[in-house]
Amino acid sequence: MSGGQMSGPPEGGARPSTVDAITFEVIKHRLLQINDEQGITIKTLSSSPIVVEGNDFNVGLFTARGDIAVAGPYVLTHVTTMDYIIKTILAETDPADITDGDVFLVNDPYMGALHQNDVAFLSPIYLDGRLAMWAGNVLHHADLGGIDEGSFCVNATNVFQEAPRYFLKIVSAGRLNHEVERTFTSNSRLGEMVAIDLRAQLGALSVVRERLTELVADVGLGTVEEVMTRTVELSERRLRRRIAGLPDGSWVTEVFMDGDRVGSERIIRVRLRLTKSGDRLTFDYEGTDRQSQGAVNAPYSACYAGTIVPVYTLLCGGEIDWNAAAKHLVDVVAPLGSVMNAEFPAAVSICSVGFTWLATAAAMKVVAMMLSESEEFRDRVVPSWNVSCNGNNIFGRDRTGKLVGALLSDHRGGGAGGRSFADGFDFSGKATSHLGFLSNVEAQEWKLPLLYAFRRALPDSGGPGMHRGGMTAMAAVVIHKGSDAIWKSTNTAGSDQSNASGIHGGYPGAGSQCSVVRDSRIWEQYAEGSVGLSLDDLGGAVEHLPSKSEGKLGAADVFAFYPPGGGGYGDPLDRAPGRVLTDVLNGAVTADGARRFYGVVIADGAVDDAATDLLRAHLREARLGDREVGRAAESVVAGEVGAGGGAGGGGGEALVQRHVIGEYLEVVGPAATPETSPATHASPGVIRCRRCGTVLSAEGQDPRGGAIRRTEPLAHAGPWIAQRFGGHSPNFVLDEAICPGCGTLFDVEERLAADIAGRR
Amino acid sequence: MSAPRPAGGYVVGIDTGGTFTDCVVIDAAGVVHIDKAFSTPHDPSVGARDALRNVAARIGVSDAEILAGCVRFAHGTTVGTNALIQRTGTTVGLVTTRGFEDTMIISRGPMGRNTGIPLERALDFVRNEKPAPYVERRLTFGVGERMDLDGEVVAPLREADVAAAAEALRAAGADSVAVSLLWSFRNPAHEERVRELLQAAVPGLQISLSSEVSPVSGEYERTMTTVVNAYLAPVMTRYITQLAEGLAADGLRYPVQLMTCAGGTIFPGDVARRAVSLINGGPVGGLVAARELGVTLGFENVITTDMGGTSFDVGLIHRGVVRTEASTFVSQGAPVQLEAAKVVAIGAGGGSIAWTDGERLLVGPNSASSRPGPACYGHGGTEPTVTDALVVLGLLDPAAFFGGRTRLRVDLAEDAIRARLAEPLGLDVRTAAAGIYEIVTARMSDLVRQTTVSEGLDPREFTLLAYGGAAPLHAAAYSEPLHVRDVIVPPTSSVFSALGCALSDIRYTYARSSPLRLEAAGAEATAAAIFADLERRAVADMAASGHAGADGAGVTLRRRLDVRYAGQMSELTIEVSGSDEDLAGQVRRAFEAEYAIRFGSMTIPRKGRIELITFRLEALVPAARPPAATIATRAGSGAGALAPQTTRRIFTRQYGEAEAGIFDGAGLLAGDRVAGPALISRADTTIFIPTGHRAEVDAFGNVHIDVRRSAS
Repeated sequence: MSGGQMSGPPEGGARPSTVDAITFEVIKHRLLQINDEQGITIKTLSSSPIVVEGNDFNVGLFTARGDIAVAGPYVLTHVTTMDYIIKTILAETDPADITDGDVFLVNDPYMGALHQNDVAFLSPIYLDGRLAMWAGNVLHHADLGGIDEGSFCVNATNVFQEAPRYFLKIVSAGRLNHEVERTFTSNSRLGEMVAIDLRAQLGALSVVRERLTELVADVGLGTVEEVMTRTVELSERRLRRRIAGLPDGSWVTEVFMDGDRVGSERIIRVRLRLTKSGDRLTFDYEGTDRQSQGAVNAPYSACYAGTIVPVYTLLCGGEIDWNAAAKHLVDVVAPLGSVMNAEFPAAVSICSVGFTWLATAAAMKVVAMMLSESEEFRDRVVPSWNVSCNGNNIFGRDRTGKLVGALLSDHRGGGAGGRSFADGFDFSGKATSHLGFLSNVEAQEWKLPLLYAFRRALPDSGGPGMHRGGMTAMAAVVIHKGSDAIWKSTNTAGSDQSNASGIHGGYPGAGSQCSVVRDSRIWEQYAEGSVGLSLDDLGGAVEHLPSKSEGKLGAADVFAFYPPGGGGYGDPLDRAPGRVLTDVLNGAVTADGARRFYGVVIADGAVDDAATDLLRAHLREARLGDREVGRAAESVVAGEVGAGGGAGGGGGEALVQRHVIGEYLEVVGPAATPETSPATHASPGVIRCRRCGTVLSAEGQDPRGGAIRRTEPLAHAGPWIAQRFGGHSPNFVLDEAICPGCGTLFDVEERLAADIAGRR
Repeated sequence: MSAPRPAGGYVVGIDTGGTFTDCVVIDAAGVVHIDKAFSTPHDPSVGARDALRNVAARIGVSDAEILAGCVRFAHGTTVGTNALIQRTGTTVGLVTTRGFEDTMIISRGPMGRNTGIPLERALDFVRNEKPAPYVERRLTFGVGERMDLDGEVVAPLREADVAAAAEALRAAGADSVAVSLLWSFRNPAHEERVRELLQAAVPGLQISLSSEVSPVSGEYERTMTTVVNAYLAPVMTRYITQLAEGLAADGLRYPVQLMTCAGGTIFPGDVARRAVSLINGGPVGGLVAARELGVTLGFENVITTDMGGTSFDVGLIHRGVVRTEASTFVSQGAPVQLEAAKVVAIGAGGGSIAWTDGERLLVGPNSASSRPGPACYGHGGTEPTVTDALVVLGLLDPAAFFGGRTRLRVDLAEDAIRARLAEPLGLDVRTAAAGIYEIVTARMSDLVRQTTVSEGLDPREFTLLAYGGAAPLHAAAYSEPLHVRDVIVPPTSSVFSALGCALSDIRYTYARSSPLRLEAAGAEATAAAIFADLERRAVADMAASGHAGADGAGVTLRRRLDVRYAGQMSELTIEVSGSDEDLAGQVRRAFEAEYAIRFGSMTIPRKGRIELITFRLEALVPAARPPAATIATRAGSGAGALAPQTTRRIFTRQYGEAEAGIFDGAGLLAGDRVAGPALISRADTTIFIPTGHRAEVDAFGNVHIDVRRSAS
């Protein structure tokens, strides 16, 4: 059985409008400002670094039936969850029990919350004597209980071991329920902090309630309601047109979780197929593995929230408002009982950084593949974007003996994938928030009994490509003026492979790794003035950890970690040598990396052109030397279509380009005749190399079928991938596809070694 | 003994803007003389001198006579802002704690890319590029050392690393360097030692220490502030020195004063150390002038609104004090941690371009530059702007623009609106033009409302000031929904920032982050000691500049604190008295009162513990200000309601079609009353009084527009 769809029918049909285009613009902007004020209030009042510096919250205004009309620009996985929760509240509550001045507190992932830490405060707004709209905000609380510190329960095997799930009225008809507040805060290890954040959420709602009342007094409720509805309709019309303008097709990718709980290194496959047909997008997780024993599972609403991210960030961007409209056009289907549609009582407390995060990673990749086939939107291709949340909770006693703890924010320094026209963003932040900042080292050290040994960019961590993937950064901390420190690591994935996909021949970026250096010499090194800037230079025993881990930190133990890099775009041998040189001078690529990954030889601060040409020719030759052309292409080349060879035509009928697939491939076929409609392409075409014209497959088939296939260890992509295995993972390999005509590398994927063995 | 304070004579204020350089000269009788000149970006001192000469000519004297009789010469400059935007600052180096050399490029992740720009750009996830770093990688040097949060030395300074950095800086020809070490604001010893070593090794190198430029927590922001300071210091110093020398040669006897973003002035000798504070000094001048106007007219709460060609800026004065913020973005990804008058801006000015995506009518944030400018300028612009809408609506007189120096083309304005907006949207040209006006004024209302209410303040308790070339045509319309007490257009509205420079006090600000829990033992004594230390520094600086006695006579000191509940991440700034008595009580009362005002008392946590984060001190030497001069009162039967010279047909959606009376602003006298619909036309601006409202001229020539709905 498959999971349901979140999308309902679009609201209303055409109705007579009382609001003209100008008034619409005026009121719409005022609603944005009012919602923005919620955000300002939360940031000012919150006690939590993850909220204030990570902007890990969001705010929204909703129609009376719970459709989000105005969403804040913060964490966008919350855009769809708040909406879902209001609908659940409305479905489960006797209307007589909802009154003016109520505020509901909900964090139950099975009611639509992203995970237990993300607590939604939702309030019905009564205007003109009736429930006219809802306002709400959701904020990540630092700890709400459960068996693991920080409530990311890496040890939980079912939901009852996690933080309590609440569905409460924190405020009844304007009266704060102190007993509810007390219950909520007393279940937390950080009750004081949680109490402050609770007040911040209430403060934001009281501000928004006041402003909406004023607005309605100024312009009338009918006008405000119509503007809200039309805002959603406007987005829907525009997004519908945008989707309709993309090529129809179907794209598949896989991402993996390597290790789902402490002590389990189970590898879980996520398979995602995106089908674009007309004005609809369908993301289908058929083929995804069964739900986990750990807390990484995504309930359906969380899977939906993660999957729809690239629709907002890449298709809507700053041009189409983020609201309920996208849900009307995007279906997400996930097998019930899989990690993407977990069945109660599966543990789910890490899903935000578990399978929700991987849903975003997979969706970014398939959307990138789709956009690669669009002339208009190819400049929005980003194959990966900080694909793993290297989230680490550190708890310990400060110098006064008080228990303190927080999620370190350094995971927001990961890289994004290369683009069709430029390198990927270094230290890009999260795909789900353009405002998720890393904390200052000083802010972290003020908050926690820690000392950062370093926080530095990692050379060669961006996936090699014609356009390089973005770099990531490594942080290393040691306990300082504190005691009894522990870590709980909820690294999404990336200690055995990376998920940091490249595209069109670009290599994956760095994986996502946590390590501990036991009994280091860091304090001796400090006494001498300076500490080692790599793990090997800290003078202890280096232990690379699996993706979910926990442990105690001794006085001289250094805990170090880095989130993933971004994958590259295009064949690295196509990168201009001058750009490789710049990278070397700026520390983004090492001289050794320049040679190994880009075939560029640098000597005395300059490119050695002759040596570079020679090396690149040699590397291409080596690719062709592995010639092992797939059967599919051979049959195509043998004559079905009769195309092939350099000029892309040969004898017989002329072939014309139908469309381009990314950087190196194109679909060609016989020119349309008056009898064949160009729109339907009645006569079948082929996929061929744009450089040399070599035909790789029939249209609609996998062009890798006609390519030279090379299997390489992950180390071939860079030094920061599968470090636990020295770059030679027993489970994953690189599967490279090379044009047999010209030696262009046009596809690189991380694959399960077992799958490759099966293919052969 | 207090140093002699200049009195009498001329007070000069000059504000350099993008297009014009404005000059104000106040004579000994308090009469304000104003004029402008074109700005000269290649050498802004030329424009400044031109503007001064123009005013002198109006008074009927030479500029040398003004300089000779000048007792105060204050200047707001855009040299720093321009150098920052155009990246024409110096080649700058950075010395930082080893292991943290990448702080600037890591840039707190997306902060380096997505802040300091309009939201629409930030939401363009894939195409919003990160600006190049101010410091090249090869000029970034890590030195072995480490302090902790208490300012205790974890690792000693490895001086060999500093020597290596000095050698490399010399080889690269860097003339300025920023030094920013972790936790230096808790203990500046290592930074100070680095300075000693660099100074000895590289003579002439300008050195900015983070513990002096921005001694507050947060290494990305502190380092950025210090780097920007180092980047601008040589450029600013050169400019100011040259300007000051020229003025002195021509007879100026007092040091030039420079307007800072804090709303006060500093002296040339401090420019290198405080270069970053001169960014946005000019616009802040408007807030100073507004506060002074409030003093003259007897009100303490002012909202300032300044509209020029590209932006609409809002500032706040509450209870006579300019509202400030602890951190601002001076450019994309460049937060500067320096207390500054809070000025909130949106891209809505006369040049803002109106456009449609086929369904919506949108205004801004893009704006036409001065060339070709709005379509009605006739320089080839084809995109409709706010100014084009004003011409079409009859609100701007095409013949009287810039005092008649430029004639505006109504036909071109109509063509642009028709082709780009009206036809695609199925509207008539007039409705589309009125739509532009309504949308842009609503944006302005929204910005004013949000700026006020997000600080817990109520616009109904404020007077709104409108200045800058374009604001008076919009002010009544954007003020009406705000229910402000009064809307005032001062006679100096087109040069208001320059007026603020002229009126500004000498003001030095000092800050030190020194996190302290209020309940901790000895906290009061520690806090008192920190304030005392800041006060000693302030008095010494003032005495050194000759504006105060060695005992601090003549200097006003103001203590403030950034405070939060333990665990919070943001602070509120509160003011405490100059007395150490019951400091803890003072802090708690002021903090809880401010908290309740802003967020409601429901948000005050029970048993909340308070943390003091940043100690702030302001040292002020009040400027001698001649009392404002009054204008003549209309005598006899002409007093009271005036009859218009002529009329013009105007249209807005808010007020409908009307035959507006046209009044010559130069002829208005104290006590004159004008009933809307009316337009008061001045050489450099037009004031719109809508139907149902009326305006009155006060004794100082300010036009008050009554926008309360109950007005008859």
